[in-house]
Amino acid sequence: MSFSINRRNLLVGSAATLAFGAGAVRTASAQTKEVVIGALYPMSGASAQMGVDAQKAFETALAFINEKSDADLPLAGAGGLPNLGGAKVRIVYADHQGDPQKGRAEAERLITQEKVAAIVGTYQSAVAATVSQSCERYGVPFFSADNSSPSLTRRGLKFFFRAAAHDEMFSAAMFDFLDAQKKKGEKIETVALFHEDTIFGTDSANAQLKLAKERGYTVAADIKYRANSPSLTAEVQQLKAANADVLMPSSYTTDGILLLKTMNELGYKPKALLAQAAGFSEQSLYDAVGPLAEGSITRGSFSLDLAAKRPSVGKVNDAFKKLSGKDLNDNTSREFMALLLLADAINRAKSTDGEAIRAALVATDLPGEKTIMPWSKVKFDETGQNPYADPVLLQRIGNKFVTVFPAQAAIAEAVWPMNKS
Amino acid sequence: MTAAIVIQSLASGLLMGLLYGLIAVGLALIFGLMDVTNFAHGEFLMFAMYVTFFCFSFFAIDPLLASPIVAAALFVFGAVVYLGIVRFAMRARTNVGMVQIFATFGLAIVMRGLAQLLFTPDYRSIPHTWLGGKTVSMFGIYLPAPQLAGGAVSILAFAVLYVLIKKTDFGKALEATREDAGAVALVGIDKNKVFALGWGLGSALVGLAGAIMASFFYIYPDVGASFALIAYVTVALGGFGSVFGAFAGGIVVGLVEAMTAMVLPPSLKSVGIYAVYLLVVFFRPRGLFGSI
Repeated sequence: MSFSINRRNLLVGSAATLAFGAGAVRTASAQTKEVVIGALYPMSGASAQMGVDAQKAFETALAFINEKSDADLPLAGAGGLPNLGGAKVRIVYADHQGDPQKGRAEAERLITQEKVAAIVGTYQSAVAATVSQSCERYGVPFFSADNSSPSLTRRGLKFFFRAAAHDEMFSAAMFDFLDAQKKKGEKIETVALFHEDTIFGTDSANAQLKLAKERGYTVAADIKYRANSPSLTAEVQQLKAANADVLMPSSYTTDGILLLKTMNELGYKPKALLAQAAGFSEQSLYDAVGPLAEGSITRGSFSLDLAAKRPSVGKVNDAFKKLSGKDLNDNTSREFMALLLLADAINRAKSTDGEAIRAALVATDLPGEKTIMPWSKVKFDETGQNPYADPVLLQRIGNKFVTVFPAQAAIAEAVWPMNKS
Repeated sequence: MTAAIVIQSLASGLLMGLLYGLIAVGLALIFGLMDVTNFAHGEFLMFAMYVTFFCFSFFAIDPLLASPIVAAALFVFGAVVYLGIVRFAMRARTNVGMVQIFATFGLAIVMRGLAQLLFTPDYRSIPHTWLGGKTVSMFGIYLPAPQLAGGAVSILAFAVLYVLIKKTDFGKALEATREDAGAVALVGIDKNKVFALGWGLGSALVGLAGAIMASFFYIYPDVGASFALIAYVTVALGGFGSVFGAFAGGIVVGLVEAMTAMVLPPSLKSVGIYAVYLLVVFFRPRGLFGSI
């Protein structure tokens, strides 16, 4: 076989050299100077605000990772990743617009073009489902910060990790609370489920249906609605007709706002509203509906009341507030914690190799005091789920969140029923 | 299912339908006038809702009072969009249809992006309005005041539009330009002027709808998308180009949506709308009142 130097061979050869050279340089610099993590969030579309808030949460986390501080958190004292020569963490953001297919494409771009060491995301569970599959194929860890669908950790993925609770754990806490209220003498026999039609709402409702059956509550209505509907009048009429003792919505912000407004317009006042967070964790929902949300209860992963027991909560909240003008909430606290845990694992892995990071994540065993969450600890089971992520229930009282459950975290008794009139 | 629930559903569907009609009529008007589909129609609605929101937050003007201001602002905006963008898109020598689609579609993306940049993607809402949160209830039927006002404004707007189109010189010029844009130039009607006024009028109507909606709906950069989809179906159902088809189409869509939700799970309530739409396409492709 002869090999002559013609234009074509020369081109191919130089292109290959260039590509190889660029690749080599990039890996070398990644190991010494910085570690790149991909963050996949909705930066445009219906949930764009979630992406904007997540970005602020990650920037806060980066400050705690890359700069020295005295907070009692992993990596806080070091200023960079000490095991990687003090490498700084950098985040590349990508926008999935709440669309699972765009999420998949962006995940592949982050992995192949941006050479990220791991991906964190994604707010919508439906997007996490596709993104984590891409990560699995490339052997890159996916750290779920704020997806709550239980089915995500049941697909046998090796590179999927979730430190926060999923909706079955959250729902179990909600029913524990209902049981406790019942013991106090409240009459609670029926529940009405109201959920949106993507994986988040469906999984949440399935978990709640199962729990209601197990614990002897009658499901008076199980209403699935289309997310971002122009009108929820028909749905609310059915809820009103069912008139259950507890209304349990699983809704994102837009539908949550419309639900509360429509309930008010149709004169429907449930005895209690127990929400599966999402929209009900968002300040913009409470700004939009004002007093209509008074007395509603939402499950949460986070409570600012925790600052009394865990001083780092106050420090992180101050830093976050300086950036965003908002207090930490259910979502932003989990996003902050996710990046911290991921960076800690990369540090312990001493490498940006996917397998090594995965091994370090599997070995994670962090006491709850070293987090800003009400969790007892962080330790992943074989599915990648942290079963020690204890949820809390928060009630909206005087336009503020008050922790009402469980007893060890509560600072007040729940107001029940929410509408005294 | 009791009679009260059925009546409640139909009443809510009717009110929503009147609003759908008001949202859609601008689209029908512009299409009827010059065969251009405005793919930024949803974004016009979003823009109107933001104008209403800012009227309230900066000057404490109630959405109901602000509605003429919003309509005026949208009139100017619509005319400027025609003179600045659509007029040039219509000059394309080849592939005119595509150029028009891309021009308005591009405008939609730009408007959405700008809204996100300037107004942030946060969900806004006008907390205290004269009508917001108030309901009229009788015999267990609840009619929310904002939607009632919306229905009234919608009927009023269509009545004024009817008079404007059927009884005035402007309406005749509009009709003539629609028939033959080339020939009207011979009798001294400036085609560009009529088109610009048509765009202004169409936008003012969606502005009116936006102002009413802002008093009970949340506002964010993507809010127009779901309403725009319904507006396209409404226009196609009522008949492309027929202003009164949009009115009837809106009511049909609202009622069908409400009735579907009574028999099917609510997540499937749009199925009824599209089923009716499909029937219309099969048996009367030009729409219920279409003239083309």
